[in-house]
Amino acid sequence: MEKFAVLQLSGCAGCEVSLLNADAWVDKYQLVYMPLVISASGVPEVDILLVSGGVRTDEDLHNLKRSVKKANKVVAVGTCAISGGVTNLGNREEVRNFFMNQSEQRDLPRLLADCRPIADFVKVERYLPGCPPTPELFMAVLFDPPDFKAGNSVCVECNRKKDKTMKPKRLSGHLHGNVQPGICLINQGFLCIGTSTRGGCGALCTNPGQPCVGCRGPSNAFIEKESDAWFASIKKVFSKMTEIPEPEIDSALRSAQMAMFLYQFIDYAGDNPNVPSKKEIL
Amino acid sequence: MTTLTFPLSRIEGHAQVVIEVEDGDVKSAHFKAMELRGFAHFLKDQPADQMPVIVTRICGVCSTAHHVASVKALEDAYGVEPPPLAKKIRELMMLGQMLQNQATSLFIFTMPDRLGLSIIFQEEVSQEVAKEKQGIAGRALKVRKAGTDLITLAGGQFIHPVKAVVGGVTSGIPKDDAAAMKKQLEDALPMARELFDFYWKSSETLHDRIGTWGDDRPACYIAATGKTKPDYYGDRMRLLIPDNENIIDFQSRDFRKHLDFEETDYSYSAMTTYKGNALRANSLARINIADSMGTPLADEYLSIFREIHGNPANGILLFDIARGIELVYSIERSIELLGEDLENGEPAVPHTETDGEGFGLVEAPRGPLVHRYKIKDGLIEDIEFIIPTVHNVHSIELALMTAAKRYISKEKVDMELERAVGRVVRAFDPCIACATH
Ligand code: SF4
Ligand code: SF4
Ligand code: SF4
Repeated sequence: MEKFAVLQLSGCAGCEVSLLNADAWVDKYQLVYMPLVISASGVPEVDILLVSGGVRTDEDLHNLKRSVKKANKVVAVGTCAISGGVTNLGNREEVRNFFMNQSEQRDLPRLLADCRPIADFVKVERYLPGCPPTPELFMAVLFDPPDFKAGNSVCVECNRKKDKTMKPKRLSGHLHGNVQPGICLINQGFLCIGTSTRGGCGALCTNPGQPCVGCRGPSNAFIEKESDAWFASIKKVFSKMTEIPEPEIDSALRSAQMAMFLYQFIDYAGDNPNVPSKKEIL
Repeated sequence: MTTLTFPLSRIEGHAQVVIEVEDGDVKSAHFKAMELRGFAHFLKDQPADQMPVIVTRICGVCSTAHHVASVKALEDAYGVEPPPLAKKIRELMMLGQMLQNQATSLFIFTMPDRLGLSIIFQEEVSQEVAKEKQGIAGRALKVRKAGTDLITLAGGQFIHPVKAVVGGVTSGIPKDDAAAMKKQLEDALPMARELFDFYWKSSETLHDRIGTWGDDRPACYIAATGKTKPDYYGDRMRLLIPDNENIIDFQSRDFRKHLDFEETDYSYSAMTTYKGNALRANSLARINIADSMGTPLADEYLSIFREIHGNPANGILLFDIARGIELVYSIERSIELLGEDLENGEPAVPHTETDGEGFGLVEAPRGPLVHRYKIKDGLIEDIEFIIPTVHNVHSIELALMTAAKRYISKEKVDMELERAVGRVVRAFDPCIACATH
């Protein structure tokens, strides 16, 4: 039986919980390390190492470097491991200073100034974006099932239809009730970026009525480009489908809820970005 | 001075127990939370109305609780009251969360301690154990999955729910979907009971072997559940104090009048006290505070439990048994709710965003959770998360101290100590991602 391990760095454990929702691996792979479900002292030799969470502390870094040596293949799973995820919102001077001060006061793992993607430190063979990736995506990265096919974008997987007659004049706020079924959320004034988000999640959020915030990251059309190309394109989508003033769209596209998406772009990734190529991303 | 360090697994997040011993005398027992992401800091100046999407990322184990608490905090600030249909659907989300969490804690985190294993999935074990544990993993995953599916149905997403919105929920639940979910839960109920019965029995065996249910001193218990029966949607905080006939209750916005918070230099988590006393939150607190469970099977379990352990019950390992009672309750109560009309009626009422301060309270699997948002010009001016695990830190350390004294003497450190440390910590089911956020 092939062996795999899950190394959890600083994240929310949502990626692990998602993996536990799948059971197809139980007969095919032996799980040898995953602190959430097994007591083991360290990562042994494994075929696949899944790493979730970002590098937040010196201990994260130490565990990461030590563990990848034992693995044939390293997969970065989840937005945190790939880009740092929502914690990137702390990428500001006053927050960074707060973190640095914390470490000085305590006898604990030292906090780095910000939460770093794992590819900044180790070689990553495969990327599985999502916050978290769905159980199906986890199975796809473990088994490469031939019948697995992710849509080019979330839109492709979404069961809502665009409606040319509905042209909202304002963004209707991020969240509100009374979402109309079957009709594209953009036509209802929501900031949905499913058009440019990598498919594969099955339009998990948009189908029940919540705009896509792009946790699967930019689709192949954008992933190797800088964010400007995407801003231009998505603004075009909104100017075609709505009458919402551009400045309103622009500021919403740069707001906190977009962190999971935006930080997956090269130019948001900080110095010496290590941005995956299309081929490496599932 | 000797320092014993125990890394912890089968809990959420990165934590360690450090026990200091001098000449066989236990000097201290510390529970160290080793991570910090800083949500309370990096969310400052961000748009308040986006919190329900972002704060779910505090914790993937109990994100439903954060999602609902967040929406309730905004509603409190804006002065909106969600319609009855929305409250029902939110209650279902919380029940799904409770079901999933208690199944995970019981069957994935702590069952191995009862069976002498390191994991419930594949592992080389003796014939005898293999026979006993046959089918546990598969059934445990099925029961757990029912909780996840309920969260998905009521919450719209399986890990980080999205369906609660200010003023209500995005939509009701179609009749057919509710019926299918009801059926799935009806199938899961006997499985959950069998697993729990087995769990309870093996806990008794464990008790007979080690001779204790753990630290059983009378303690203060805190929960935001109902007085007469459980209600995880949360209305008021309740405190049960030993030797006091009455339960003190107060609004979440008054929590600082009753609770004190302390930072330490050895952990990224704070700890709570009540007038200098340690507090206990989580399953046992809820079981001790509520008069009954309000569903037939759970009430049967509760009366057996009370007959043996009294009310309030105090042994640490009883947290685990209490979790099983709640598992049964969550399934029964969800079946009840899914039989009601969840399709018709207003899912949400309109609202206007205003500045101000809001408090959102829910009873999360680990205890009462409060989100406090101070909003200025639509942005977060100040934000605070009052985390259930933090209420338990002091009690975890006291219980660790009790265990350490039991197994450490001048002559030796008993091998059982390491296992005891794991059992004590897991009984509280701490969540480090939440505690440090
Ligand atoms: S990617 Fe999302 S689900 Fe995974 S650890 Fe990070 S915040 Fe949690
Ligand atoms: S709701 Fe979003 S994902 Fe669905 S069709 Fe519209 S833009 Fe695409
Ligand atoms: S719909 Fe968008 S935000 Fe939701 S899971 Fe899919 S990619 Fe992520």
